[in-house]
Amino acid sequence: MRHDFLDRHSRLDSPIHRLCADTKLVVALAIVSATVVMPISFVTYFVILGVVLAGIAVVSKIPVSFLAGRLLLLEPLALGVAVLALFQPGGWYVFATIVVKSTLCLFTMILLSNTTPFAELLGVLRRLRFPALLITTLALMYRYLFLLMDEAERMQRARASRTFTKRRFALWKVLGTVIGQLFVRSTERAERIYAAMCARGWK
Amino acid sequence: MIEVRNLSYRYPDGKEALREISFTVAQGECVGLIGPNGAGKSTLLLHLNGILPEKLDGAVSVLGQPVSSENIDSIRRMVGLLFQDPDDQLFCPTVYEDVAFGPQQLGLSESLVPAALERVGLTGFEKRSPHHLSRGEKRRVCLAGVLACEPRVLVLDEPTTDLDPRGKRELKALLRDIPATKIIASHDLELVVELCPRVILLDRGEIVADGKTVELLNDEKLMLAHGLERPHILQHRHPHGFAEAPWVK
Repeated sequence: MRHDFLDRHSRLDSPIHRLCADTKLVVALAIVSATVVMPISFVTYFVILGVVLAGIAVVSKIPVSFLAGRLLLLEPLALGVAVLALFQPGGWYVFATIVVKSTLCLFTMILLSNTTPFAELLGVLRRLRFPALLITTLALMYRYLFLLMDEAERMQRARASRTFTKRRFALWKVLGTVIGQLFVRSTERAERIYAAMCARGWK
Repeated sequence: MIEVRNLSYRYPDGKEALREISFTVAQGECVGLIGPNGAGKSTLLLHLNGILPEKLDGAVSVLGQPVSSENIDSIRRMVGLLFQDPDDQLFCPTVYEDVAFGPQQLGLSESLVPAALERVGLTGFEKRSPHHLSRGEKRRVCLAGVLACEPRVLVLDEPTTDLDPRGKRELKALLRDIPATKIIASHDLELVVELCPRVILLDRGEIVADGKTVELLNDEKLMLAHGLERPHILQHRHPHGFAEAPWVK
């Protein structure tokens, strides 16, 4: 079982992938900041940015279906807020602003995370002197997220192999147990990881 | 070199894990720690590195230094601990960072990292993510992470679990070449026979026997009484003995 949904295409080989992580992170953050502060009336900026990002996507060889899927997955979060704006006078303007800006920002970050391995991004943050605790937390999250998902998948399979009822209530009840078990296992694992860190000099 | 005197330990839930454990291990010795599940092997190993208990009382000492909160750093520098589950031990995003973790924490040079990786045969794996390695490779990265700290005592908890026969053979060869004092807790009695001239049998938190591996493991009654078996390696002896383990005659 192998999960790598965070940076699935980050190990492809393309001119964009070969760029150094520092440049990519700085450019991505600059694009996001500029997009957020740019008034929506600067249509040329948004069109050019859209074309440039599409060009990067093509050069980086990341499958279009993957990028579209990822956008669809993340967009509802921004859309939820945007839809609320429709209920006020002049709401269309706010709605359009949020949709355009969030789409471009999300697209930028999706491209960044799929052209740069997560470990390299952490390396850049470390060089930029981000707080060590934050970087350690991110690194541990990245390392154990997949493990947790594998564990959940294994438990789910084990449960499915011994589930003989289709009654919804029973299924929900079992799901509750699975989630609880997963929580207990993660807590115990966290203790063991901490012990392993201490054994190699962590203070 | 390692001295354990009247060590007792009770888990916070009240379960007694170790009772009046005493033994000494000389420098360069390789000692096997055997016993059924739940005998207290892992708990004992955690004491050697000062991970347990929360309150240290000096019942364990390494190279003359008692394991206490004052000298816990130098104890951890001297004692390298290989954990049972490699996923607990590999917590960094890449192999290189994981192997470099110990040297960085202990203020050692990072030049030890390539050497440690080469020693376990994983040169070229630096940028790989631990999640994408096989079980055997993970185990070797763990070992590299411990070796990079240059420990004088190597404490291994079930090092061959989940390894295929080739992985086991390679690990055995690797361990044989490491000159450090070794304590190996394992259910893999073949490994214990091949690597450890001396063995300590633990059951229900107590030391049941401590002596020569071949003598103890050949005692079928003793083995069966404590949830173990006489290993095949001793049942079918090779006419010329073992080149690698001269104590098996």
